[in-house]
Amino acid sequence: MAVESQPKPQARRTPLSDLLIVDSDVHVHESPGALAPYCDGPWDVALRNVADVPERYLDIPGFSPGGDGTLTARFPTSHEASRMVHTPEQMAAELQAINVDLAVLFPDHLLKLAVLPQADYAAALARAYNAWLVDQWTSRHAALLGAIVACPQDPEDAAREIGRYADDPSVVAVYLPCAGLDPLWGHRRYDPIFDAAQNARLPVLLHSVTVTSPVFPFNNHGFDTEFARHATSHTFAIIANLVSMVSTGVVVRFPDLKIGVTEAGISWMPFVCNRLDKEYLERRREVPFLTERPSHYVKRVYVATQPIEEPERLRDLVTLMELYDGEDTTIYASDWPHHDFDHPMKLNQVPFSEEQRRKVFGENALELFGIDRAGRRR
Amino acid sequence: MTDVVVGRLADFPAGTHKVVEAAGRQIGVFNIAGSLYGLPNVCPHQTGPLCQGRAATGTLTADREGAWKPRWVMEGEVIACPWHGLEYHVPTGRCLAYPEITLRRYEVTVRGDDVVVTVGGRRP
Repeated sequence: MAVESQPKPQARRTPLSDLLIVDSDVHVHESPGALAPYCDGPWDVALRNVADVPERYLDIPGFSPGGDGTLTARFPTSHEASRMVHTPEQMAAELQAINVDLAVLFPDHLLKLAVLPQADYAAALARAYNAWLVDQWTSRHAALLGAIVACPQDPEDAAREIGRYADDPSVVAVYLPCAGLDPLWGHRRYDPIFDAAQNARLPVLLHSVTVTSPVFPFNNHGFDTEFARHATSHTFAIIANLVSMVSTGVVVRFPDLKIGVTEAGISWMPFVCNRLDKEYLERRREVPFLTERPSHYVKRVYVATQPIEEPERLRDLVTLMELYDGEDTTIYASDWPHHDFDHPMKLNQVPFSEEQRRKVFGENALELFGIDRAGRRR
Repeated sequence: MTDVVVGRLADFPAGTHKVVEAAGRQIGVFNIAGSLYGLPNVCPHQTGPLCQGRAATGTLTADREGAWKPRWVMEGEVIACPWHGLEYHVPTGRCLAYPEITLRRYEVTVRGDDVVVTVGGRRP
């Protein structure tokens, strides 16, 4: 953390309040009771059946089972680690308070959609969430844009969902759940999802969350602490899925598909670029469909900043971004209202050039999501 | 230096804290076992409302003398920022995770029934 090395504000820097800020990852709070009216039978019955179950943070049995909060000893603290946003009005007001102009909405509980073993139920939940998200949130506030969820347990149904919302003006992305996912997103079974997203001109955004599950890389029970599991789980998942998508050729089979990753910070990107390029020297014949070195494809991926690393020398972040040529692909995200959200002021302390700053805070996201500065799809 | 009456002693029972306004500053006033402490209501990490959360708690520590077993210590003396959980020891202003950070502390005194916060002076 670097409180001592804040750069002096430069006179010509646009103040945060005047800068376009697109927040690529914020979370709405969906409950079983709220989704039930949007859910197909018989699964709506199951949702109503758990509607009154007391909720732990992102943890409802039969809905979003097995959160990190249930595995570790809970000591008292004044850290409010379970903030939630229940209405578009609340979201708009809270985002305005941190100078965010446009925001892309992700779920709370459905971060764990991929861990649900019942494929039909998971697909019904995804359909219900998408309908609820558009009806209750994105159609009600111009600044709130939607990422519809693609259910990995039923790729054909997910592809139909993407087609259904392809022309919705308030839907700007497809959210790919990563927590507890098996197999990884590079598997060919998911090709219908990537095909549909590419046809709909919607980017796919990978998003994980901390779970402990038998599937790679969530078999993290080897760690003794939540410190270790939370520190690594998002990034491990993003690295695993991105390496998967490069090494199975998703990135070449769907050349017009835009890919973004969230909640993994940025410092792993130079590692993945360099490591894959090194491996390519020796094992190119195993990935012969890659006509460019792997880093070429990795560098096309949009990377959301949260949780932005906080090195003592904040200029190291500029160097890190430049190491993956990320000036045009790095995008701000707050992760509001979650416990590890990033206020824009933190990224604003990084000594970016004014052009880098404009791009990272907003302009790159406009390109990724294909929207104008008012959030309208182009 | 400016002395500002921020309330009556009865407004600050032991084991509680609240945020008061004094000379344009938001200050968290804590009563820990009868001693009063004042800290700025802003976390230097990401400007979170440091003193607006729930009650101060203890925290965990471990050291060689204790055979590296965690112990619950400083009961009632630790405030964690509601935004990101960065912990501070209220009586000293010391940040537990980052020792290079120490919060400024405002002098809080009792005059009669009044609680008085002194602002604008040097760090005590």
